[in-house]
Amino acid sequence: MTAALTLDGLVHRFPGSSTPVLDHVDLEVPVGDCVALLGPSGSGKSTLLRCAAGLDTPAGGRVLMDGRDVTRLAPERRGVSLVSQRPLLFPHLAVRDNVAFAARVRGASRREARAGADRYLDLVQLRHLGRRHINALSGGQQQRVALARALAAGPDVLLLDEPFTAMDPELRLEMHDLLEELRAVLEPTVVLVTHDHDEASAVADSIAVIVDGRLVQHGAVDEVYARPAGETVHRLLGGRHAVRGVTCGHVHRSSLGELALPADSTCPDGPSLLLVRHEALRLVAADDPAATTRGRVVGTRRRGAKRVLEVSLGAEVLIVEVQPGGTSAVGDHAGVVVPATAVWAVPDVRDGADDRSDLITARPQHGED
Amino acid sequence: MRGAGLLGRSLLTLWFLLPVLGVVVWAGADEWRSPATLPTDWGLRGWDQSWDQDMAPALLRSAVLSLLVATLATPLGAAAARWLSYTRSPTRSLVAAIMLAPVFLPPFALVLGSDVILLRLQMPALAGVVLVLTVLALPYTTYVMLATYQSYDPGYDDEARTLGASAVTALVRVHLPLVMPGIVTAWFLALLVGWSDYVVTLVIGGGLFVTAPLLVAAQASGTGNEPAVAALVVVTVVPPLVLAVLVSRLRPRITLEA
Repeated sequence: MTAALTLDGLVHRFPGSSTPVLDHVDLEVPVGDCVALLGPSGSGKSTLLRCAAGLDTPAGGRVLMDGRDVTRLAPERRGVSLVSQRPLLFPHLAVRDNVAFAARVRGASRREARAGADRYLDLVQLRHLGRRHINALSGGQQQRVALARALAAGPDVLLLDEPFTAMDPELRLEMHDLLEELRAVLEPTVVLVTHDHDEASAVADSIAVIVDGRLVQHGAVDEVYARPAGETVHRLLGGRHAVRGVTCGHVHRSSLGELALPADSTCPDGPSLLLVRHEALRLVAADDPAATTRGRVVGTRRRGAKRVLEVSLGAEVLIVEVQPGGTSAVGDHAGVVVPATAVWAVPDVRDGADDRSDLITARPQHGED
Repeated sequence: MRGAGLLGRSLLTLWFLLPVLGVVVWAGADEWRSPATLPTDWGLRGWDQSWDQDMAPALLRSAVLSLLVATLATPLGAAAARWLSYTRSPTRSLVAAIMLAPVFLPPFALVLGSDVILLRLQMPALAGVVLVLTVLALPYTTYVMLATYQSYDPGYDDEARTLGASAVTALVRVHLPLVMPGIVTAWFLALLVGWSDYVVTLVIGGGLFVTAPLLVAAQASGTGNEPAVAALVVVTVVPPLVLAVLVSRLRPRITLEA
């Protein structure tokens, strides 16, 4: 059982507020797909899930399941399950009875419901803990049970509201694997809310970026990374460089030099920002003819096994990741290769974009990860 | 430290037991003249007398009254507490102050004021007593449920709904079991308000609805009735005590299965 979810011009306001928390959001989630809803805190991601689940009634727009309008339908009649950041397991029920809850409220006998629950506990590898009280489980185990409980309800659409955010990195990776396994077996339609672009790209087929209640971009993971709709999307996806310059006939001119833009660039001529994926930047020797631009190393820091170098190009600084074993040190001259596939230009809508004397600056976001 | 703890517990026990001790001894005495340390004549005269004074019907009336008050004040308090917990209404503080006002007002002021209104409305005496006592019990039930809701995550209700439970099913299978400890405590406090009331039952009830506290007061106002008064006090104190023990033992077990 799985269904396509469509949000059609969804509008939502909190009581007493004139500013919409969701502003005409249109979103298509095809059958069996997983869409990651990415956005900063307070952007309306969770509200969107609550509207889709029927827990909040939108002020405007429609929620459709396989084309059927369910906007006014009660949450229990929508075929939608929700897993939150907090597992919210019912503390008066044992683990197995939590998973059996949906079957019980549908009228199944306790024996049937528990047998069904065991199958879903198997899927999350926790059948052996079925008789335990939920307090006897670790945080990760509780979230697995919450996932099993949501899936046991047989939802057409599974909504996940930052379910892995509170976990440590190792556990999060395990949960990502588990979600992939569950998707392979049950093929549910999934909407995952997250503010972590790594998580979004690890588990989702597509990423929808929501900022201030507006859906600003929705596309395949690679596309959103490589073709961000604007600087905000680029930053949300971990991009660290937005270099001011001018686009003129598919060429971007800035402190990095003249760079050819991808053939499908839609950036009009005029003041523009060059959005550069720092992961694609490559450090080479200063005299390497392949270098796109040259500068001096002004900072270095460790990031796990890798090192991150700050290469100053006059007034601007580029962040370049280097593999373990690199020997560049502060003060060295270095060249930086900026591959054509790592850049994308968007119109510059910042203040002062029309001021030509102020055009050329590179602004790395120090400390951002 | 253990010695200090033991001393503290002993003093606390004495604090509660001493006032009861005299009454319990009097309840088993036919005669106890000063300055004798113990009764001069042991017996059950007081119990015979109090039984003749319609002790049983008075206890039954008290039980009915307190059950009615608890049954009304608990859901009302729970509803009020839930509203106060989750509302963003600007009138929240005003409503909270009005709900808690009966605790701060002198009982006589409230009762005499209510009596005039209820007489004008020609409300039957018993209904009036139940109504006013419910109002008096509401601050307690509301306060207990407010504390309960402060630690209750409404996400449980949402979760139940998305798992297929209707609003009523979610209430019965999830919400009520989770707030049950608060409900039991609130219900018990409201029961005590009804069970121990004297002023409201006397004034609003016009002295026609004789409950256990009214009977005790009537007996205590005479002289030489100490054994009967003591017997009445003992039977009045025992039910809430037994209930308190039962409630404290039952609370952790109040759970429902899926």
